[in-house]
Amino acid sequence: MRRLAFAAAATLVLGLPAAALEAPRKVVDYDIAVSLDPATKRVEGTETLKWTNPSEAPVGELRFHLYWNAFRNDRSTLFRESGGRLREDTADTGKGWGYTDVTSMKWDGAELIRGARFESPDDGNRDDRTVLVVPLPRPVAPGETATLAIAWKAKVPKVYARAGYVRDFFMFGQWFPQIGVFEPKGRRRRTDAGWNCHQYHANSEFYADWGDWKVAITVPEKFVVGSAGALVDTKTAGGKKTLTFEQKSVHNFAFTADPRYVVVEDVFDPAKDIPKDEIARASKTLGRSEADLLAGFHKVAIRLYLQPDHLAFDRRHIEAQKWALAWTGLWLFPYPYAQISIVDPPEDGMGAGGMEYETIYTTATFKWMSRWPFSRFVVPETVTIHEFTHGYWMGLLASNEFEESWMDEGINTFTEQLMVDSKYGYFLQVPPGIGLRDSDVYRAYASLSQDHDPILAPAWKFANGQSYGRNSYDQPGTTIQQIRLLLGEEAFWRAFRGYAERWRFDFPTSEDFFDFMRAPGNPVVDDLIRKTWYGRGWVDFSILVASTRPDDGFTGFDDADKPVNFDPDPRKPEKNEDDEDRNFKGPWQSLVTVVRDGSIEMPAHVVMTLKDGTKIERTWDGAGDWIKYRVTSSSPLVKAEVDPGRRIVLDRDPWNNVRYTKRYEGPSAALKARVYALNLLEILLSSVWGVL
Amino acid sequence: MSALGAGLRASLRHRRLAAVLWLSLFFSALVFGHTFRKLFAPLDEGAFRESLVKGWDGWGVLTFTVKHWDAIGVAIAAAGGAVLLFALLQVFLTGGVLRALVAGRARPVFRLVVAESAGLFKANLWATLRFALTATLWMALLVAAPVRVLGKLGKDAPPHTFLPELAFWWAIAAGSIVLLNVGLRYDLARVALARGEAVNARGAYRVSKRRLRGSRPSAILLAVVWLAVGLAVQALFTSWGLRWSPRTNGSTSGLFVFRQVGFFVLAMARVGFWASLLAWENARRPAPSLYGV
Repeated sequence: MRRLAFAAAATLVLGLPAAALEAPRKVVDYDIAVSLDPATKRVEGTETLKWTNPSEAPVGELRFHLYWNAFRNDRSTLFRESGGRLREDTADTGKGWGYTDVTSMKWDGAELIRGARFESPDDGNRDDRTVLVVPLPRPVAPGETATLAIAWKAKVPKVYARAGYVRDFFMFGQWFPQIGVFEPKGRRRRTDAGWNCHQYHANSEFYADWGDWKVAITVPEKFVVGSAGALVDTKTAGGKKTLTFEQKSVHNFAFTADPRYVVVEDVFDPAKDIPKDEIARASKTLGRSEADLLAGFHKVAIRLYLQPDHLAFDRRHIEAQKWALAWTGLWLFPYPYAQISIVDPPEDGMGAGGMEYETIYTTATFKWMSRWPFSRFVVPETVTIHEFTHGYWMGLLASNEFEESWMDEGINTFTEQLMVDSKYGYFLQVPPGIGLRDSDVYRAYASLSQDHDPILAPAWKFANGQSYGRNSYDQPGTTIQQIRLLLGEEAFWRAFRGYAERWRFDFPTSEDFFDFMRAPGNPVVDDLIRKTWYGRGWVDFSILVASTRPDDGFTGFDDADKPVNFDPDPRKPEKNEDDEDRNFKGPWQSLVTVVRDGSIEMPAHVVMTLKDGTKIERTWDGAGDWIKYRVTSSSPLVKAEVDPGRRIVLDRDPWNNVRYTKRYEGPSAALKARVYALNLLEILLSSVWGVL
Repeated sequence: MSALGAGLRASLRHRRLAAVLWLSLFFSALVFGHTFRKLFAPLDEGAFRESLVKGWDGWGVLTFTVKHWDAIGVAIAAAGGAVLLFALLQVFLTGGVLRALVAGRARPVFRLVVAESAGLFKANLWATLRFALTATLWMALLVAAPVRVLGKLGKDAPPHTFLPELAFWWAIAAGSIVLLNVGLRYDLARVALARGEAVNARGAYRVSKRRLRGSRPSAILLAVVWLAVGLAVQALFTSWGLRWSPRTNGSTSGLFVFRQVGFFVLAMARVGFWASLLAWENARRPAPSLYGV
């Protein structure tokens, strides 16, 4: 590993193979020149945009995203939706406002900007200026390429919602006038062609066409710049430098600038960085040869733009990045680009942290997580893995995050859990090994939090921010895990990879994903999709009854009115039932009632454990509301459990999955917990001796 | 004999005094710890009973926490009550412990400690209030105010650079120094009350000021040494306890007894500290005047 100044970093990709890109259908071509004045936080830019009409219909107006107008004032839709608080950060309503003003837009010499207007297609907010509609003097014909010359000025907002500045740290995301998506008939199952250009919402921002980018960035010389592209040219003059980056086949372009960055560089080398056991597992599960799986891999340059106070995390981020490149390459398809850049925002600029852009993303690092006892909090690694993998679910499979946010966040949550848990075994852990798995945290939110919406809803139409989060991250992530457990490893992973490969460089919808999940033909999965993506279905299995009693044959009066197995004399005390049971040699009669609450039907495994250790197993198809099992055995029932393997990950309350009979005589978890808690309290109390 | 040596010797000799302190700890915890019984009862009825007996089950603990959040809130409030009760007990008992140490009586102790504590309680309570007041005042002046100034000076500084780091370490260092100094004045005031050199907190604080004059570093060193001994004892027993990992009810009970032994040793260290301070203070008392005071 080397730590180099940025100028040296530019040479890194030399010697690496050109990325083996499959060509997406390119609609846009941007050539941008932008100049940043860090002192005033102002930006001036020009942009030559070549836009090709991808449809069969003539297009009479163009639509543009002006994302930074969301930070213009407190009337914008983003501000109204967020209330000025987002991503655990608060807007600076003093000097932190920002904006984008398009000063000129010309096509064939004609100035278009005078006729332009703002529209708010999502919420009709007249004060929102994040969608600019530009009428054209003549329509752009199908297949015709319109070349537009655009000039704009902008003020960088103080960061609280993804893009912005803190002191001299700048994160430029969604920063230039970006044309919306004119969807041809058939794309994303559309029945007619039309614009898809949403406002900038608090919880969504991604959907764009593919294209090539050339971006020249002018900043003071002391600044270190990282971007989505590869550095192709550097010019310096008058204390400033202009860095030109290029990137092909992406649908967004982000960059960052900060004079304090320490650039850490490394190379992902498939020959060294893909674990052999993971290759073998993927090969077996996917039914493909190892050679086939490894065929598309190539070296990838990794650049980490690290804050100087986070140097202790350099290897942590790099190793997480390499693992993500290996895992996604094996289970989805190899990363097609030649480089990936990781941006580490300062700790007081976390509004910019944990954000995905293509071939560049921001992670999150907190210095205290390098120190005992928090050094096994793998939050930085998890964010790195999560944000990189967005490059697949929002990037390479260009889903519409505005309308189907789960396709970006939910699938990504699912893959993140697998990567984090398999590599680290935990998400948060403190000595002496007490911790939580990543999947447990998501699963807890999914199954235990209040539900107000189905998974499938536009990102701005959820009941509240919590419901957006639950239904975009936790619930779909956990439900996909449930589908995996229902289909089985081979069927699921073949379907999952099939989806990824089919929709690479394309625009999938939810139904496209479901088609692959339904393909193996499991009706439970179809029902699950219907009830969770399109409804608010839930499920809770429980053991309602678990009882056992001696099966001592006939008890009561027989036909001759003779008492059998009991003493009818009311003057004699009743026998102690427990003593009697203890001496009973069998057989035993047991009853177990299993209940399923909620609308989701799925099969469940039921295990009845006898005192002698024998386990009686049943499988319930879960179709009814409850089922009763009656068992006669030589040993009494001590425990009945539904889903002992914990394969029903959507189960809302796992605590009621077991019921013990009074015959159970095992060690007590409650006693153990009480002792630990009492000791903890005594430790707390004894600390008073240090003061009083 | 050095003050430290006197403390070590006393901590071994006055085991009954240590038992009094340990009992105050144990019963404070037990009185409020009864809420744990209700809180944890569902553990034996649910799906995670066996996995929790075997060790840690993150999913089980997470779901239990969410399900029983209200009961956990009650337990946390009870823990707060226990801290308050224990603090009051220490204010009460310290006078009696000091009197027993001054008297050098190893037994019988319990009745003596309670009786003497009762006699000194009012003065000790005033001394405690004065300690709280002075600690707050000095903390505000020497810790909070400088940290606030440093925060303002460094409001535009990146995290973990000179000014933010200085503010953090200043808070730790200055806070510790203030607590040690104010704490020593308070401790020596209680010694003065126990020795009968003052009849009220005001007079006791005056005596403690005289004792500390010119000898403050050695007193601080003594307090730091005993603090380190206490921390070491706590760390040792906690670490061993965590490795215990009981899987049977018998083993769980064993862990409980083991941890009580640890807290008893900690109470011995507390007695050692007081005996050391008495020895240190004794060495700095003015020689009695032939003409009387």
